[in-house]
Amino acid sequence: MTVDQADKHEANREGIKLVKSQNAASQQSISTLASGTETKQPSQASQPATAYPERRKAPRTWETPPEPVPAPHFDDYRPIVGDAEINELRFLARPLKGKTLKMVNSTAVGGGVAEMLNRLVPMLAELEVTTHWDVITGGNDFFEVTKAFHNALHGTEYQLNRAAQEIFLAYNEQNRQRMQFQEDVVVIHDPQPAGLIRSKKDSPGRWVWRCHIDLSNPNPQVWGFLRPFIDQFDAAIFSSQSFARQLPIPQYLFYPCIDPLSEKNKELDDSYVQQICDEFGIDRSRPIITQVSRFDRLKDPVGVVQAYKLARKYVDCQLVLAGGGASDDPEGALVLKEVKEVVGNDPDVIILDLPPWCALQINALQRASTIVIQKSIKEGFGLTVTEALWKGKPTIAGAVGGIPNQVIHKLTGALVHSVEGCAYQIRYLLTHPEFAAQLGRNGREHVKENFLMTTNVRRWLLLLRILMGERTV
Amino acid sequence: MTTTTENTIGTQTALRHQAVKPFYFNTSAHLLRITTFKANTLAELLDCLRACPEDAIFQHTFRTLQEHHFIREGFSNDFAHWALAACNQPGLAEQLASVDVREFTSLSDLRERFIEIVASHLKRHHADASKIAEETFYFCAADIVVLPTDTVAASMQEFVKGLREASVHSIHHHFIEARLRIKLMSNDFSQWLHEDVGLTETARALNRIDIYTATLEDVRRQIIRVVERSLT
Repeated sequence: MTVDQADKHEANREGIKLVKSQNAASQQSISTLASGTETKQPSQASQPATAYPERRKAPRTWETPPEPVPAPHFDDYRPIVGDAEINELRFLARPLKGKTLKMVNSTAVGGGVAEMLNRLVPMLAELEVTTHWDVITGGNDFFEVTKAFHNALHGTEYQLNRAAQEIFLAYNEQNRQRMQFQEDVVVIHDPQPAGLIRSKKDSPGRWVWRCHIDLSNPNPQVWGFLRPFIDQFDAAIFSSQSFARQLPIPQYLFYPCIDPLSEKNKELDDSYVQQICDEFGIDRSRPIITQVSRFDRLKDPVGVVQAYKLARKYVDCQLVLAGGGASDDPEGALVLKEVKEVVGNDPDVIILDLPPWCALQINALQRASTIVIQKSIKEGFGLTVTEALWKGKPTIAGAVGGIPNQVIHKLTGALVHSVEGCAYQIRYLLTHPEFAAQLGRNGREHVKENFLMTTNVRRWLLLLRILMGERTV
Repeated sequence: MTTTTENTIGTQTALRHQAVKPFYFNTSAHLLRITTFKANTLAELLDCLRACPEDAIFQHTFRTLQEHHFIREGFSNDFAHWALAACNQPGLAEQLASVDVREFTSLSDLRERFIEIVASHLKRHHADASKIAEETFYFCAADIVVLPTDTVAASMQEFVKGLREASVHSIHHHFIEARLRIKLMSNDFSQWLHEDVGLTETARALNRIDIYTATLEDVRRQIIRVVERSLT
C-alpha cells in the first residue's frame, strides 16, 4: 500500500462510521424481505452487527518491498513432509549424481516461472544434480511479439505476420549462438525460447519443453508456427491434462506447486494474524470470507460480492477482497471501481489493494479466513486455491482451468459454476463447520501429496531418470 | 497357503522374531503421462477403455487410491468418480466403484471388468451414451520407477519399525500394487510373513484389511496392529 493509498484509507474512516448506520437500515430491509418469503432466518443474521473494529492506517514498512528471504535448505522441508518423503527424494536423486541439467526461460525475476526456478534450482543442486539456469535476452520488439504469442496461445485473436515471425526467429538464433548446450537434459520453458531446439542436433542431451500456459484453445496461426519446433523435443510437460495438445512426443503432467516455506505459505504466529486483522479492521470473532486475486474480470470479484450479498441474507459474515493491480493497471482500476459500486456502503466488505510484496500479509489474511473463495471465470492453474487448501481452509472455487485438479467437489472443497452456487456454498459451509473442517483437512493433504515444492522436485528427478533410460515398470 | 509343518516352524521363527530371509522395503515413484485418449460421453469412455494403454487402467484405479490416500470415502477409482461428478449417473458410479482392485492380478482382467459394467449400462440405457459430460475425462498413465530404501527387516521387531517409518508410497507399493507384480491375490507383506516367517494366519489377516474405507495411514496402523498382535 502506498502512502497515498494509506492516507486515503485513513480518510475513509469517517465514512465507515457513516456507513455503519446505513448498513443497519439495509439489514432491516433484508430481514423483512426474508421473513416475507418465509425463508428461515438464522438468529445471528438478524442480530445487530458487533462493533466494527477501527481500520488503521497501514504501517509504513509495507510501502517498500521487504529484504529477500534466503532460500530454505532441502532438509528444512523434513518437518513438513516427513522423513520418509525426504529420504525417498534422496534415493531418487542418488543415481543422478553428477548429471547436469539446464533450464532456459525468458526472465530471471518476476513471474511464476522465475519464482519456481529460484527455488527448484538450489534444491536440485543440494541433491547433487548440477543445474544451470540461463535466461534468453531480447529487445522490446522480441518481448512484444512473445507477449502477443502468449495471449494468442491463450485463445486471443491475433494476426501472425511475417515481421513477427522474423523477430522471433532472429532473437532465438542470436541466443542460440551465444549459449552452450552440453548438459544431459535441456529444459526450455514456454514458447519464447522454443527456437533454441535447433541446437539439439549438436547437443548430447535430451530436450524437454515445459509449457506453463493453457494450450487447450490456441490461436491456430501461432500454434501452427510454433508446432514444428515443439515436435522436435523429446518430451513436453504441461500443468494440466486439459492444457495439452496432441503431440507425437510423450507429454507429462507437472502440476504447478507452492513452497510451504515461502513468505506466502509459511506458518505464522496467531498474534501476527491478529495484528494484520486489526490493521485492516477485520473482526475475527465473526466469519471471514476472503478472495485473494488481482482486480481482474476473469477473477469475478463482482460475482463474489453478489454471492456474499445473497449469503448475508441467511448468515453473518464479512467479505475481504485482497488484490492488487488496481494502481498500475487501468483495467484493474476500472474493475475495482465496479466492485466498489456493487459493494455500496457495506462496512463488512473490506477491499484491499495491496502491492505485490505483501506476501506475509496475504498469508495472514488467508489464515484468518473462515472460507476462501476463488470464483474465477477463467483460470490458469489457480495457485491461490493451492495456498488456501494448504492452510486447511474450506475453499469454494470456480470449476475452470486447473482448479478441478485441486478442488474435488465435496471432498477437498466446493466447485461452483454461478453466483447462486457460490452463495449456497458459503451458507452451507458456514452452517456445517464440521464438514467444512473436513474439507480443509482433505484439501491440505491433497496439496501435500500433489502440489508442494518437494513433489515438484520428485517429478523432475523422475523425469531425469526416465529420460536417461531408466526402465519403468 | 499353509501346512502344519510350516505353521510349527513359523511359530518358532516368530517367537525368535527372526525371518528366514529379510524383508526389503522398497517404494515406487510415479510420473504422470498424459495420453491421447479422452472422453466426453459414456460411449467415448467405453471406446477409450477398450483402446487405452494398460498403464492408464493402472493409473485410474490402483493409483487413484494412492493419490487420494487421505480420503476414506468416495474415491475408489476415477471412472466411478467421473460417472457421478461429470455424468450424473449414480447407479453406474456405484457399480464402477464396487470394483475392488484387490480381486485382480492382471490389468487386462481389470480393464474387462470396467468395459463389462459400462457396456451393460449403455445397453440398458441407450440415451446415456451420447450425453455430454460436464467435464472431459483425460486418460493419463503412470511411468513408474521402483526405488530401494535403506530399510531392511530381519526380525519382526524390525519389520514393525519399518512399517512405522515407511512412506505411504511404500505401503501402497507393497500392500496394494504388489498383486500385479507377484500375480497372486496377496501382497508383499503377507507373502513374507507366510513364506519367510511362517505367520500364515497373520498373513491372511492382513489380506482382510479393507483399503476402501480407510486412508492409507489407517491401513498402515491396521497392518501394524495385526502384526503386533501376532507377537504377543
